[in-house]
Amino acid sequence: MFRHFSAFDLLPRVLLTRLRWIGPALAAAGVFAAAAVAYAAKQNSFAAWFLAYALAPERAFPLIGLGIACGLVGAPVFALALALFGLGIASGMATHDWLILAIYTALEGTTHLSLTSPIGYLAIGLALLSGVRLLVWLLPFCAFIEGVTLAVAVFLTDPSLHNSHFIWAPLLAAIWIVVGVALTLQAFRGRWSPIFARIVGSWLVTVGLLYGGASLLPILKPSPPPEDTSLESIRGAELKESLHPPAGPEQFERLQPEPDTFSGGAGRLPPQ
Amino acid sequence: MVMTRTTRVGLAFIVLLLASSSLVLVPQAVAAHILQGAQGGFGSGFAHPLTGPDHFLAMFAVGLWGAQMGGRQVWTLPVTFPLIMVIGGIFGMAGVPLPGVEVGIALSIIALGLAIALAWHPQEWVALGLIAYFALCHGYAHGAELPLSTDPADYAIGFVLATGTIHLLGIGVGLGLNKLASGQVSRGLGALIGIGGLYFLVPALLGV
Repeated sequence: MFRHFSAFDLLPRVLLTRLRWIGPALAAAGVFAAAAVAYAAKQNSFAAWFLAYALAPERAFPLIGLGIACGLVGAPVFALALALFGLGIASGMATHDWLILAIYTALEGTTHLSLTSPIGYLAIGLALLSGVRLLVWLLPFCAFIEGVTLAVAVFLTDPSLHNSHFIWAPLLAAIWIVVGVALTLQAFRGRWSPIFARIVGSWLVTVGLLYGGASLLPILKPSPPPEDTSLESIRGAELKESLHPPAGPEQFERLQPEPDTFSGGAGRLPPQ
Repeated sequence: MVMTRTTRVGLAFIVLLLASSSLVLVPQAVAAHILQGAQGGFGSGFAHPLTGPDHFLAMFAVGLWGAQMGGRQVWTLPVTFPLIMVIGGIFGMAGVPLPGVEVGIALSIIALGLAIALAWHPQEWVALGLIAYFALCHGYAHGAELPLSTDPADYAIGFVLATGTIHLLGIGVGLGLNKLASGQVSRGLGALIGIGGLYFLVPALLGV
């Protein structure tokens, strides 16, 4: 019992089999690239910055979550989500000053990145938690939010203020992570995928809330009260201070007058 | 590959032996659950649940119990745990007093161990309620130390990832052990976890 395949039948099958490995290949290339950046970070300041900010777990985790969400939906929704992610990045780049001001004014975040990352975490986490049926509707919207928050975070971590490499490199890495994870998951999607997605979603929501909470709640720890507030103890402290007077500027070598180097003696140049 | 009964019993014995020896080998880390002072970033957060045996046992038991119950509980328990843990974490960060956290953590290990040992299959809301209470205690302990970390975001990510990984490990081990000796190995492991909980309860009650 042989089934005969024509060339036209075989071609899409071969193409589909080959295309299946695009995701894992992208992911593997990304891992190798990250390893190369980590190796170069010891000598190259741009690589060190890229490793510390563009590939930081804080930045990468919601992007991996977005990739997982994209891997669970069909190709049209995936394409729409990717397009809206790009639109979100463009919107964030265009309006980042206004957005930063709005976040600071409304929520008074106390950290450098304010609440840009927690907002992205919560959006993607809630989408993953909602299950595949709702995910189809929520994903494009959440991808847009993640794009906006990513763009703002990229601007806030740009140390150069004029070098476009610090903007484009992390954005390209972000798109690479999303597409690589999504295509890899689509290649190996199974009955376990929605369960795994929900569990990852709960992690993202947890991190978003903890991180957001830690940003909103500054460390306000009052200094401990003195053990003994009696008058004798205060007098004892004054006496101790009189025996060991506080150091004056003359005790610091770098504040001493510059030695005369031309009159011989203590100068740095040998006498003529 | 088909395993004979002797092989299964031998494998079960090895698993029980390894589990019990791990409890004996790590007593020094009992007091490591609530850490004092500044913590680091991702690595510190990731290492914390793995190096604190009380946290590890509780998380592992959550996954094991979910796998033993089967059905929706395989994922509802590990999804609920971190989400409720956040509420406890925010209480801890805000400094809201919650007495008896260490006792609650020890009790969570005992209760989860007992539930597995007795193969208790309660209604889903009962299981989730229990998990929620235990998650509150665990979250409080870790939330209190989160703002002290040098990088709260990376610390939280590492911590949550490690916690989730232990859940997945528990689910994987549970699904594997459920097929061995009609689930008796899984129940035995639950009993050992319960005994481990007693080991944590005594110092928590004595305030050592």
